[in-house]
Amino acid sequence: MPELMIVRKVRKLWQRMRDTVRNEPRELEFQTEMEEHVRLLAERYRRQGMTVEAALLAARRQFGNPTLIKEDLRAMQIIPSIEALRGDLTYAARMLRKNPGFAAAAVITLALGIGANTATFSVCNAVLFKPLPYAEPDRIVMLSERRRDGTLGNVAPANFVDWRDGSRSFSGMAAMRAPSFAPSFILGGQSEASRLAGGMVSSGFFSVLGVQFKLGRNFLPEEHRLGQDRVAILSYSAWSARFGADRDIVGKAMTLNEESYTVVGVLPAGFQFGTTSADFQERSQVEIWVPMALDPPKLQRGSHPLLVIARLKQDVKVAQAQAELDVLASNLAQQYPEQNKDTGIVAVPLEDKVTGSVRVALETLLGAVGLVLLIACANVANLLLNRAAGRQREMAVRIALGASRGRLAQQLLTESLLLASLGGIAGFILALAAIAALTPQLPADLSRASGIAVDARMLIFTAVLSLVTGILFGLGPLFGSGRESAGESLKQNNRTSSGIQTRLRSGLAVAQIAIAITLLIGAGLMVKSFWALVHVAPGFRSDSILTARLLIPTSRYTDSRKIAAFERALRESLEDRPGIQSAGFATYLPLTGLDHALGFLVEGRPPLPIGTYNVAKYRPVSAGYFETIGIPLLRGRSFTVADTAESPWVVMINDSMAREYWPSENPIGQRVQFAGTGRTVIGVVGDVLHEGLEGAAKPEMYMPVEQAPRIESGPTIVVRTALDSGAAAAELRGAVSAIDRTVPVDRIETMQQLVSGSVAQPHFRTMILTAFSLLALMMASIGIYGVMNYMVIQRTREFGIRLSLGATPSDVLRLVLRRAAVLISVGTCLGIAGSVLLVRFIAKLLFGIAPLDPLTFAAVPMLLAIVALAASYIPARRATRIDPIAALRYE
Amino acid sequence: MTKGKVESNKKSEVLQGTLDLMILKTLQAMGPLHGFGIARRLEQLSEEVLRLNEGTVYTSLLRLQQEGWIAAEWGASENNRKAKFYSITKRGLKQLERETEDWERISGVIDRLLRLEGQR
Repeated sequence: MPELMIVRKVRKLWQRMRDTVRNEPRELEFQTEMEEHVRLLAERYRRQGMTVEAALLAARRQFGNPTLIKEDLRAMQIIPSIEALRGDLTYAARMLRKNPGFAAAAVITLALGIGANTATFSVCNAVLFKPLPYAEPDRIVMLSERRRDGTLGNVAPANFVDWRDGSRSFSGMAAMRAPSFAPSFILGGQSEASRLAGGMVSSGFFSVLGVQFKLGRNFLPEEHRLGQDRVAILSYSAWSARFGADRDIVGKAMTLNEESYTVVGVLPAGFQFGTTSADFQERSQVEIWVPMALDPPKLQRGSHPLLVIARLKQDVKVAQAQAELDVLASNLAQQYPEQNKDTGIVAVPLEDKVTGSVRVALETLLGAVGLVLLIACANVANLLLNRAAGRQREMAVRIALGASRGRLAQQLLTESLLLASLGGIAGFILALAAIAALTPQLPADLSRASGIAVDARMLIFTAVLSLVTGILFGLGPLFGSGRESAGESLKQNNRTSSGIQTRLRSGLAVAQIAIAITLLIGAGLMVKSFWALVHVAPGFRSDSILTARLLIPTSRYTDSRKIAAFERALRESLEDRPGIQSAGFATYLPLTGLDHALGFLVEGRPPLPIGTYNVAKYRPVSAGYFETIGIPLLRGRSFTVADTAESPWVVMINDSMAREYWPSENPIGQRVQFAGTGRTVIGVVGDVLHEGLEGAAKPEMYMPVEQAPRIESGPTIVVRTALDSGAAAAELRGAVSAIDRTVPVDRIETMQQLVSGSVAQPHFRTMILTAFSLLALMMASIGIYGVMNYMVIQRTREFGIRLSLGATPSDVLRLVLRRAAVLISVGTCLGIAGSVLLVRFIAKLLFGIAPLDPLTFAAVPMLLAIVALAASYIPARRATRIDPIAALRYE
Repeated sequence: MTKGKVESNKKSEVLQGTLDLMILKTLQAMGPLHGFGIARRLEQLSEEVLRLNEGTVYTSLLRLQQEGWIAAEWGASENNRKAKFYSITKRGLKQLERETEDWERISGVIDRLLRLEGQR
């Protein structure tokens, strides 16, 4: 029975709702029906012999008042609360329109807070929370070798095979050559020489990732054997951009580095692979994949070129896999002490590895923007409190006239929700604009965010944010007006405010100041450390330098001598051209992320204990490189064109290496051995910050291209030129194709671009955080202005009395400012305390300064105090101009 | 105006809620009717005893429709004008039964009560 009741009620409600929505036509129906009724009645009276007028009058009398009836009909068709809501909305809109300054301030504050939050959340969502494009990505781990110094590194091929064959925690394990060791391909049969980024993978790589091929298939196990490995898999973008999205491409042959390969598969759109956040930029993506042949007896343990990934078996936790790997590592250390003593294996979820480098920075921004929203809410709450105070009489009158408190609460909430919705909509639009503006500026390691779309989640996030905000600050005024009894409010001439309200308001202002201080200190630290970062001397010059990648086909340039001859010819051709001062070549340019290290021995020193090595970075360069890029020669001589394969074998070292290995001797003339050959140190050059401006210099060995242990077919050319980069690039392309038009030139960049690219992430986060903190400063100032302004209005009468009793204007000014100073000091102290607690979270992001940098901690509160006092000064001035007579009559 | 009022005071006001019952009964007895027809039938039956603002028929009709006791359909009237015809639904018939019982019970009680008053 009760169920039936409910069904009936719901049905009735539904009916009414339908009627509410379409109440116009239903009313019209009754309208015609009722008119017809009156007409028929009148006709009857006419037939009884009345005049037309009298008949109509009688008919109308008999029918009753049609307007009343219609009103009854309408009331029956409309749900009362919806009607009330509509009334509330109309009323709220009218109140906002009547007070455009207030409405604008509240909506803008909210829009800024919500907009900044939505934009930041979208970036974080795309970079941190978007799953990697693989099947069950949370089960994929990356395995690294833990080196003797505790750092993590790439994996030796023999170790990889032992791990793969000796572990049971994984359903599959596979390896890929790390970017510094990855092959590059010249695609044959093209009108213009072009380079394809290659990836070389072991058997099962794509099955570990769980990739569904767009076309064709994965490599077969037997294709990972020498002689059968001339097969290739294309990335989706290479397939569509270079092969015209040919659907029949599988089985076709193509020429790579002048050898024939058969296409066996095409990867799906959206497949990307990387082990760091920066790898996910489009330019770092592999375009063509080839199999890696691993021939166990010939595998090395001394060189470490592999990235290893594995998929955890169902129900195996990372910690369990790690425990197994620890046992495996200690076995291998005993078996191969020379290479594996004191080393380990570390498994890290691939998703953690990818997001690791940017997580702290993005979480900092997320936290900061959350604080901005808090300030924004406090501001709006303050605005609403001020207004609620002004409307206490209105509320009291309405309560006295019988409005229920719930009804008043509903109306107040309607008002704040209306504000929140407006703010939310404006904020959403603002967020869209911000994302559009920010996307081109995203640093490489946030490139996963470049695909940010406005998705449903973002929309929901914004909507929830504005609703929560609305309810949150809708409650503020309820505290203010709900607490007072109506009668009291009516008796009170609303010039005096309750203690609760004043405390609430002051509390809000103090909180705003405290949060703003925290943000400003964070931003101050970031700015200062970024300043320090960009003023680091990198060890080379970055102005007027153009760089480009070349790929010299080893099918025709079969040894280092031929490569060096090509480079020499290109240098001479370029240096003859006007506007170009010099040119040089290097395999690994600073700040490119590419690097390679080698073990070496110092001749005449006692042998090192087993398992320890001297390690230095490996840098094949041409004559002219140091001069062109501006690395200073400190001692001895530099390489010349006379340093060839036939001349005595030589090496140059950097300052760090000289100081580490010959601290008290002259390194010039000393002999080192690496790659099986002894070489004489002929010169010392300055240190270079190769890995980034935040890093430190490491020992480096430079050798002439002709004397390098392997063929360096993919050098980067550096050109010092007075030309602008476009003209210089044209000269460069011209010079290369004049010598050999099959050599592709790509990635033409200025050294300046490389440098700014390397600090793009700190620049980005510093910029954003600074913007947030200035926003916070502005809002907090508005906040304290509001509080002081309100206080002055509340105490107009008191100030009037004081002035009439002989207080000077400056006494009154001091009175107001003292109150402001108290609020500011309390807020500042809380803010500083909060900052001291919070800075350790951003310590990792700082460079060159201590987290508790005294200058920042002193300057920021001072800045805020000045701005906040200035904001309080405006109402304080007004207090001094109060006319005592007018103030007393004010009531 | 005043005269009219005095005159009409002789008629009884329609009791709140009884109009619904009357309309339901009318529709059950007469089959589909339009608003004017219902008003005529009521006028006829009440023999000018009841005073009825005929417009209130329409509020009652809407209420009955919302309850689902009657249904409305457009059709042509006797003189071929477009008119809405109301008919009682199955649920309306049940409701009529219930209300008739209620009415009889209550009017019985009131009858007895009034008679009691009269004996004193």
